[in-house]
Amino acid sequence: MSCSRRHFIAGMGAVIFMTGPVNRTLAQTMSINGIRYGMVYDETRCIGCTACMDACREVNKVPEGVSRLNIIRSGPTGEFPEAKYQFYRHSCQHCDNPPCVDVCPTGASYKDAATGIVDVNPDRCVGCQYCIAACPYRVRFIHPVRKTADKCNFCRDTNLAQGKLPACVESCPTKALTFGNLDDPNSEIVKLIENRTTYRAKVHLGTEPKMYRIPSKHGEIKG
Amino acid sequence: MSSAFHFESLVWDWPIAIYLFLIGVSAGMTTIAVFLKRRVLVDGASRDGIIKATAIIAPLAVIVGLVILIFHLTRPWTFWHLMIFYSPTSVMSMGVMLFQVYMLVLLAWLAVLFRQEIASFLEQRFKAFRWINGIISVLARFERVLEPLMIFLAVALGAYTGFLLSALKTYPMLNNPVLPVLFLFSGISSGAAAAVLFGITWFKQPIDSPSVHFVHQIEKPVVLFELFLLLALFVGLFFGGGQREAAAIAAIGGGFWSNVFWFGVIGLGILLPLIMSMVCSKRVQHSKSYMIAVACMGLSGILLLRFFILYAGQMTVA
Ligand code: SF4
Ligand code: SF4
Repeated sequence: MSCSRRHFIAGMGAVIFMTGPVNRTLAQTMSINGIRYGMVYDETRCIGCTACMDACREVNKVPEGVSRLNIIRSGPTGEFPEAKYQFYRHSCQHCDNPPCVDVCPTGASYKDAATGIVDVNPDRCVGCQYCIAACPYRVRFIHPVRKTADKCNFCRDTNLAQGKLPACVESCPTKALTFGNLDDPNSEIVKLIENRTTYRAKVHLGTEPKMYRIPSKHGEIKG
Repeated sequence: MSSAFHFESLVWDWPIAIYLFLIGVSAGMTTIAVFLKRRVLVDGASRDGIIKATAIIAPLAVIVGLVILIFHLTRPWTFWHLMIFYSPTSVMSMGVMLFQVYMLVLLAWLAVLFRQEIASFLEQRFKAFRWINGIISVLARFERVLEPLMIFLAVALGAYTGFLLSALKTYPMLNNPVLPVLFLFSGISSGAAAAVLFGITWFKQPIDSPSVHFVHQIEKPVVLFELFLLLALFVGLFFGGGQREAAAIAAIGGGFWSNVFWFGVIGLGILLPLIMSMVCSKRVQHSKSYMIAVACMGLSGILLLRFFILYAGQMTVA
């Protein structure tokens, strides 16, 4: 009997090896406490002041040369004085099905089961950069000081740990950012998603991003 | 895009291409050597030049490849994390496990193969280590199991490097089921080239011996299949539309990496040796310098293929 069990385990190993990263551990899909944080970025409200970028750098001690958050301006569409710019938030999407976590060989990249936040444990990271290549949203980088993979973690270890909202949300002068629990039907974020038209970037890849966007009224949506 | 070797979407650079090449050579050589021993040599395999070349190059290529990989980490001295923390969803993590088993089985298989040589060597020089012979004779009892296991592991290793890249959803050209098969077969063809090259130069294996003939025989069908796989890869991308199509055009429709592909991979690595085998006389083809030249072309072609796939593959993002 022990022999057949060994065969089973070996067989499973072979199956996992041959099929690649398709199966996921329970902890990655399960939401404990019913908390699954997400964010809405309202492109119609964003004025591109980059206060969020500065606040993120300050609160999370992000060194020069790299960034966890970028506001990308495109446009203008139309002629002055009617010229309109479009803004796009470039940061971790906190995918529900994160390819960066699937590929990480050491478990350094993980999805926190209690909050749904995708985070990096720098002590375990070897810096293979597999996650950087695997993230289709191109938001990861090697932290120049720690030499480990890094990216936005919704201020999980800074503001959130102190009971505050993420730094970008706190600092936004136009309230373009809404952070909250996607699993709570009464939360502000869920109501917003129910009542406005939103889109998410690259949904066709099956990554299930938790960054929702309210499209700007001008120009084309390029998810 | 700034240059062929530095562009925004590039994450893994040239050391990875060399690593992919070396692993392919090792996996290919081992696969061929096991078949060679079973089909052609049967006994006395340890006196064959091609087997001797495999005994040295196959483990060495893996060791050098892994050292390159370790120093490519941003934190090389934490590499041991890879060996204690495993993640079943990560192709790389499963690969680390595979490497360990592959090396163990390869060393065991070689020890059994060279058991007489090892025994007489220990007898003459290191009498204190004679207990090693005992271990080898225990291993020798499993020779019948070791060989198929060795082939399985070598094939898995050859395909592994392809799976490593095909797991990347970011890049449509890499996120492709053809890649593991392509890497396996190009690895086998590089293994055959390395076996002939080192077998006849370092180990003075006569070029008209049955073993050189055997390796030579597999080369052509493998190369033709490789050509077909490349066709399948790009036709699949073209018909895939969207970013897949864009990736294919960016890769082979012009520019630096497109030239590497058409002139290096296809021209030098595949077509030129095929044409030479058609136009050169039998006498020329059976000369040592011809064989060395063809083996070098094959190896360069596969090395360039690894560079091409890695760089061109990362040019286009999904
Ligand atoms: S956006 Fe990138 S880094 Fe963030 S969870 Fe998704 S794959 Fe991972
Ligand atoms: S760089 Fe670090 S976090 Fe990213 S995959 Fe490698 S070990 Fe994991």
